[in-house]
Amino acid sequence: MFLNELFLPVLMVTFMLTVGAYVVAVLDRLIAGALGTPQAGSVWLAPMARGAWLMIQHANATEAPDWQAWRLAPALYLALAAIGLAVVPWSESLVATDLVTSVVLWGSVEALATVVIFLHGWSANALLALIGGYRYVALGLSYILISMFVLIGVALPAESLQFTQVVASQEALWNVIRQPLGLPLFLIVGLGMTFWGPLNLADSTDLAGGTASEISGPPRLVWDVARAAMLVAFSGVAASAFLGGWLGPWLPGPLWMAIKMLAVLLVLLLLGRLLPRIAPERCVTLMWVVLLPLSFLDLVWAGIGALL
Amino acid sequence: MNHGTGVDIAFLLLATLAVVTGWRVFRTDSMVRASFFLLVSFIAVGVIMILLAAEYLGVAMFFMMAVEMTVMALFMVMFMMNPAGLNPMNMVHQERISIGAGVVGFLVLGAMALFAAFPDQPVSASLDPVKSLGNEMLGDSMLIFESAGLVLLTTMIGVVVLSSHRGRYGAAAEGSLPPGLEPGGDPAGKPEEDEEGEDGGHQHHHHHH
Amino acid sequence: MTLTTLLLLAAALIGIGIYGALSQQSFVMLMMGLEMILNGVMLAAVAFWAFSGAGVPEGQLLTIIVMAVMAIEMAMGFALVVAVFRGKQADMTESLTGLKH
Repeated sequence: MFLNELFLPVLMVTFMLTVGAYVVAVLDRLIAGALGTPQAGSVWLAPMARGAWLMIQHANATEAPDWQAWRLAPALYLALAAIGLAVVPWSESLVATDLVTSVVLWGSVEALATVVIFLHGWSANALLALIGGYRYVALGLSYILISMFVLIGVALPAESLQFTQVVASQEALWNVIRQPLGLPLFLIVGLGMTFWGPLNLADSTDLAGGTASEISGPPRLVWDVARAAMLVAFSGVAASAFLGGWLGPWLPGPLWMAIKMLAVLLVLLLLGRLLPRIAPERCVTLMWVVLLPLSFLDLVWAGIGALL
Repeated sequence: MNHGTGVDIAFLLLATLAVVTGWRVFRTDSMVRASFFLLVSFIAVGVIMILLAAEYLGVAMFFMMAVEMTVMALFMVMFMMNPAGLNPMNMVHQERISIGAGVVGFLVLGAMALFAAFPDQPVSASLDPVKSLGNEMLGDSMLIFESAGLVLLTTMIGVVVLSSHRGRYGAAAEGSLPPGLEPGGDPAGKPEEDEEGEDGGHQHHHHHH
Repeated sequence: MTLTTLLLLAAALIGIGIYGALSQQSFVMLMMGLEMILNGVMLAAVAFWAFSGAGVPEGQLLTIIVMAVMAIEMAMGFALVVAVFRGKQADMTESLTGLKH
């Protein structure tokens, strides 16, 4: 019982955290190379080299930071990514925690990410980090509602808040076709919660790294790994919610899941490389004025679909 | 309700966490930390709810409180003089009475927990708590649930009205007084002030801003 | 984990909340005390639902309503703080004496 209920799920999540973060780092470098940014050294070894370099670097200190919060925030963000990965089903039975409210649990991971990222920016006791934290709160409070409506839309045809049921409900038709607005909106949420590419408001270059501007060494490594792992967790959730998860012909379920996750990851990383960063105030306007009404529309569409 | 020792150990740890962080809320110098301590206390209670098979409520607690406490922390930073807690501070009044009231509250409620006889009717294992809650909310108790939604909407409107800069007579920063009956005259609907002499500073404030 | 231990925990949280709500001078901290009281109330409601109410759905509904009450309390509280701050530049309970005499 101890082995099955505790040890194996933890092992599975840890494995996915490590492999996932590495895959994201490699893919991002490959895409950058394909788009014309020259890459020094081997694309496959560069992430590990950077990791090893960060491990032996000195961890920076600012004047009177909130030490506990500052050191805990990267670890907490990693823990949130782990919770996200734990609810992603790889097949009908291969899922780390098959909670009956796993969709809502993912929603709370998104909400808690806002807290952790704010804490990370605030606790450094440095100006640029604090601005990054505040910008993220503005973004986080905007995307959370969009995410909730999109996820409710997915839960409607499944008549369940459980990811395994959500996947099973897509046997006949994937949600990406059934609710065409859902996946694009959800991808924006994903870019937001990992502050990646166009929605990188928290750690952007105009803030010299934002919330991460003052960290170096091992905390920096944990922060970078956590961001990549969160992107993987998000693509797992998106693949289960919209692309039919493990469903697919010929190949075994977990393999289908991995292919779909990789596809979502590729799209996200491409968007991250291709789109320019949005100014914070425009981003908030866009979220509340355009995207939130669109997510209402998505929910109405899903409701009508469930009634018919 | 039967559960293993693992659940008991988890409950004990979570209960300790909830009480300790709850107590730290009112004992820390930093206001931002106070609101996040409160969040940790809520999360511990949420996990206990999940242990009690109320899976929806426990998880709902996480996201509700995460958003609430973020907003709380922002308000802390806006309104408090020492949000980061870099200086020690103590902003309490009537502390003895408060401690007494807290202890009395705990003792009375605790005595009820210890000495009252409550019926022993645990949740049956066959019940699906999430489904039962959903059926109740959109079934027999729909009126209650919808009223809660309506009250929330009313709250939103009220809150916007209360915190808005602008009233019917313009921005708060500019005095927000009704226009005069004749151009440049005294604001309409304002009672005549007959204490010109002793209330000079006050008058000055109203007429020239 | 029995009904008694759960209720004791709820009582402790409510006790801390009462202390906070009565002792804090800042409005925002005062609201934290109120939230703490509601935290204990929700725990007690779920505990009763699980151990002594045979899982009647109204027990869970009560907790949802308390959550809604919390949201209302927060929103109204903050709006009042903003309004008071605009009018009096005050964020402390002591500075509001308008209804005292």
